[in-house]
Amino acid sequence: MAQQDDIAVFGKRRTMYAAIGLMFLFFFARLFQLQMIYSDEYGRKSEENSIRTIPKEPVRGYIFDRNGTLVVDNRPAFSVTIMPFEFDKHTIDYLSRLLSLDPEFIRDRLKKGEAYSRFAPVKIKRDIDFRTLAALEENRDRLPGVECQVESKRWYTTRALASHTLGYTKEISESQMKVQVDEYAPGDVVGSSGLEARYEPTLRGQKGAEFSMVNVRGQVIGRFDDGKNDVPAVEGNDLILTMDFGLQAFAESLMTGRRGAFVAIDPTDGGILAMVSKPDYDLSTFSGVTPPDIWRSLNEDEAAPLFNRATLTRYPPGSTFKMLLAVAALETGSVTPSWRVNCGGSFRMGNKVFRDLHVHGSVDLVTAIQQSCNVYFYQAMMKTGLDAWSHYGDEFGFGRLTGIDMYEENPGLLPSTAYMDKRYGKSGWTRGFLPSLGIGQGELGVTPLQMACYAAALATKGEYRQPHIARAIVTKSPRAVDTLTFQTRHIEVSQNTWNVVREGMRRVVEERGGTGGMARIPGIQSAGKTGTAQNTHGPDHAWYVGFAPYDNPRIAVAMLIENAGFGGTQAAPLAGLCIERYLKGRITRYDAPPAPHRPIAFPQALPPLHAVLQR
Amino acid sequence: MMYQDIKERIDYKTALIALALVMIGIISIYSATYDARAAEIFHKQVVWVGIGLLALAAIAVVPFRLLQLASYPAYFVSILLLVSVLILGKTVSGSMSWFNLGSVRLQPSEFAKITTVLALATYLSRSDVSLRKMRDLAIAAGIVLLPVTLIMMQPDTGTALIFFGMFFPVLFWGGASRFTLVAIVAPVATAVAALFGTTPFLTAVLVFGVLIYLTREDWIFAAAVFSLTVLIGVSVQFIYEGLKHYQQKRIATFLDPNADPLGAGYNILQSKVAIGSGGFFGKGFLRGTQTQLNFIPEQWTDFIFCVPGEEFGFLGAATVLLLFMAFLIRGVTLGSIVKNRYGGFVAIGLTAIFATHIFLNIGMSIGLLPVIGIPLPFVSYGGSALLSAMSMVGILMNLYANRKEY
Repeated sequence: MAQQDDIAVFGKRRTMYAAIGLMFLFFFARLFQLQMIYSDEYGRKSEENSIRTIPKEPVRGYIFDRNGTLVVDNRPAFSVTIMPFEFDKHTIDYLSRLLSLDPEFIRDRLKKGEAYSRFAPVKIKRDIDFRTLAALEENRDRLPGVECQVESKRWYTTRALASHTLGYTKEISESQMKVQVDEYAPGDVVGSSGLEARYEPTLRGQKGAEFSMVNVRGQVIGRFDDGKNDVPAVEGNDLILTMDFGLQAFAESLMTGRRGAFVAIDPTDGGILAMVSKPDYDLSTFSGVTPPDIWRSLNEDEAAPLFNRATLTRYPPGSTFKMLLAVAALETGSVTPSWRVNCGGSFRMGNKVFRDLHVHGSVDLVTAIQQSCNVYFYQAMMKTGLDAWSHYGDEFGFGRLTGIDMYEENPGLLPSTAYMDKRYGKSGWTRGFLPSLGIGQGELGVTPLQMACYAAALATKGEYRQPHIARAIVTKSPRAVDTLTFQTRHIEVSQNTWNVVREGMRRVVEERGGTGGMARIPGIQSAGKTGTAQNTHGPDHAWYVGFAPYDNPRIAVAMLIENAGFGGTQAAPLAGLCIERYLKGRITRYDAPPAPHRPIAFPQALPPLHAVLQR
Repeated sequence: MMYQDIKERIDYKTALIALALVMIGIISIYSATYDARAAEIFHKQVVWVGIGLLALAAIAVVPFRLLQLASYPAYFVSILLLVSVLILGKTVSGSMSWFNLGSVRLQPSEFAKITTVLALATYLSRSDVSLRKMRDLAIAAGIVLLPVTLIMMQPDTGTALIFFGMFFPVLFWGGASRFTLVAIVAPVATAVAALFGTTPFLTAVLVFGVLIYLTREDWIFAAAVFSLTVLIGVSVQFIYEGLKHYQQKRIATFLDPNADPLGAGYNILQSKVAIGSGGFFGKGFLRGTQTQLNFIPEQWTDFIFCVPGEEFGFLGAATVLLLFMAFLIRGVTLGSIVKNRYGGFVAIGLTAIFATHIFLNIGMSIGLLPVIGIPLPFVSYGGSALLSAMSMVGILMNLYANRKEY
């Protein structure tokens, strides 16, 4: 029996052909869409699936002091990471017990990590001890996606803490992450204060990456493309500092139990020799993990141990500021070296009386500095005026940033006519402000760093050198030494003025009747000035600024002890010891009897770099 | 028989296309199981290809009349098998559809697909049967619905869908009225539309309402079919609630595969990633990361199309598509050149089964259709499926050989 007539059959056949054609048209269109239009996107997805990028942390750069002593080293530390993609959330409780972490903390970390990438490991604990490490390794099978990563943590090798100067590293915060999206991943360590923060890009190095093939269970089944695409981590660059960690440790030990700051500068180049801020803290508590309670106690301590007093606090400078006025007064011709004032113990202006500690009798400028006569400087200030004074204050770097290689710096406050007009209105202030400013009191704030720079400028007769802590960067690839350059500014002051002011400072230490006799160093002539600054926070702050040796200064210092009383008794002796320790390498003061004519070999201004590098 | 005569009787085109697809299947299975320590799967498939070729050859040379005579008894046997599998069958992935014959497992539903086509063809080719007659239409539907009901009870929705995909073209071929065709499609299509939500459902009701109106022959029937359509669409929501969770999830994932990329949508997403990442030229044999790293579970069965898609790219996938298209076109052509009415129905019915398989499987692999466990003919791993596909090719070749007989 035949099928229906051929015409009907062929008509139906055509319809069926068309139906088949239509179906395949859809298929081809879809294939075209998937494989031609979106193939890149799917290609990326398939790579994300199967290629696991394992970040390789670079070794952070080392830090050496001026003598080539390794100051900041690295030690291996084990961190626990979880890969969100592979991690079994049912194991959170078990894992939290193992690591003694809050399960909520792990969940929170995981959530944030997942938001970043499901295929990037999330660090949940840094620097675990070996017992925990062993326990984790034993239970590997039960904890899919949990890995231990070897990292390096900072290791501090010297007795000195230098906490504020070196600075600490810690895990990057969310707010930092927002700024640095491309370079950092959650859990990365970042320099957060001091040199670690300032030289972060230098010290950090470059992350590397290893690409591995993983199967659907996330098990690594081999290197991707035989590791040809792997990027090795680039070690961070080393820093060579101008600091002398022998002096640093000595100064820190002298100041133990005190609050204050000490800055020592090499006046010949502006390099910081030591920078102490007390109270301080142990940087090693920040390497690895910082227990939250330690962090909290440091943060909440009313003594503010995290705060760098050397660069951030505005203190009234007190009498240490008198050299500034002396320079301004001499340069403007307001006083001459032979101009004398009869000090009767107080100075009256209108109905206001400004007091002095002693009755100094008839004093000239050199003696006024030597004995720290307030009355002389009250009168000199009235003669010199605010504008000239604040002009020279600015020349000496007050009221502005010194440009030290640290982010933590306060410009302080140096009043000027413009400032006073703005603050009080043109007619809102009178010359009655002036006498206080003349003796470094009143509406005035300086940092110990600024004071050390000021001492260095006095030591060099006007060479104001930009203070700095890092001297050179040793790059690893290519291996090269990159010497850092800093600016020098010349303060235009006549030789005669320098001679008079410096002679006053010398007599402060070296002559009878000087206020800084306790800073005297056997065998080395030095110069300085004491200060006893009244403040609103309690007893007077004790100041000492100075430099030595007098003829060929190698070190300029500023020492501040908060609420300690007289500068001459509280700050000067410590500063003198520090200077001696630096210049002689040891303390000979109590050696009896001192060898009178033995020449002292002063340390070289700065050891040549090749000598430093060889060590 | 003359040499020329033998050459005349062999359908080279069908045979070569089928063999090419089988080869692609073997290659793809080799790749999909290459690293998975499942080489056993590959070896088994090679054995099945051998068995399939034997079955193909045997069926191709069976006397045509015998085939026709065996149709009803074979149908009866397959129904018996379906009943017994419900009672004795082994549960595999949520449904009872397998027989264990020693180490070999067989799916009676695969067998039932063929026998149903044969029985349907036998019935419809009777000179006193007309699809314009209500009674005959009902009997034809009954022949299909009986195995479908049994298969649905396993439950195996995918295979049941194949029967629907087969029935419709056969009815069309058998000269069913347009109204009949619309009446069959309307409730099913409306039910599917209802899964998407109210607006697609109302659109479907509107479209089919118009079609029913245009093709109507009897007002009462038209009204009944329309009511049924609406009723089914409405009750889909209730049926949906009653579905197994994994089925619901599949539907939900179909509607939005990205909603659950790690759960129900995982297969579809990974499949799309595999195919899409293949690009134009593919990643190379054994170099597809999705395939080699087992990102697609059991890829050698239902998601086998990803392998040529990923490793041979658009070129490979398009080749597979072109081969299938040629195969289907060839089947329809065969249906139209067979002088025998029974043979025509068989050719169309078998081709329609292939077409439904291809439509559902590739549609799923490229993310256009939900995940329904339907293998890709010739290519997917699976003894029963391969054996039945090769048997179907054997029947098609038999028809070709005897195309001039009435």
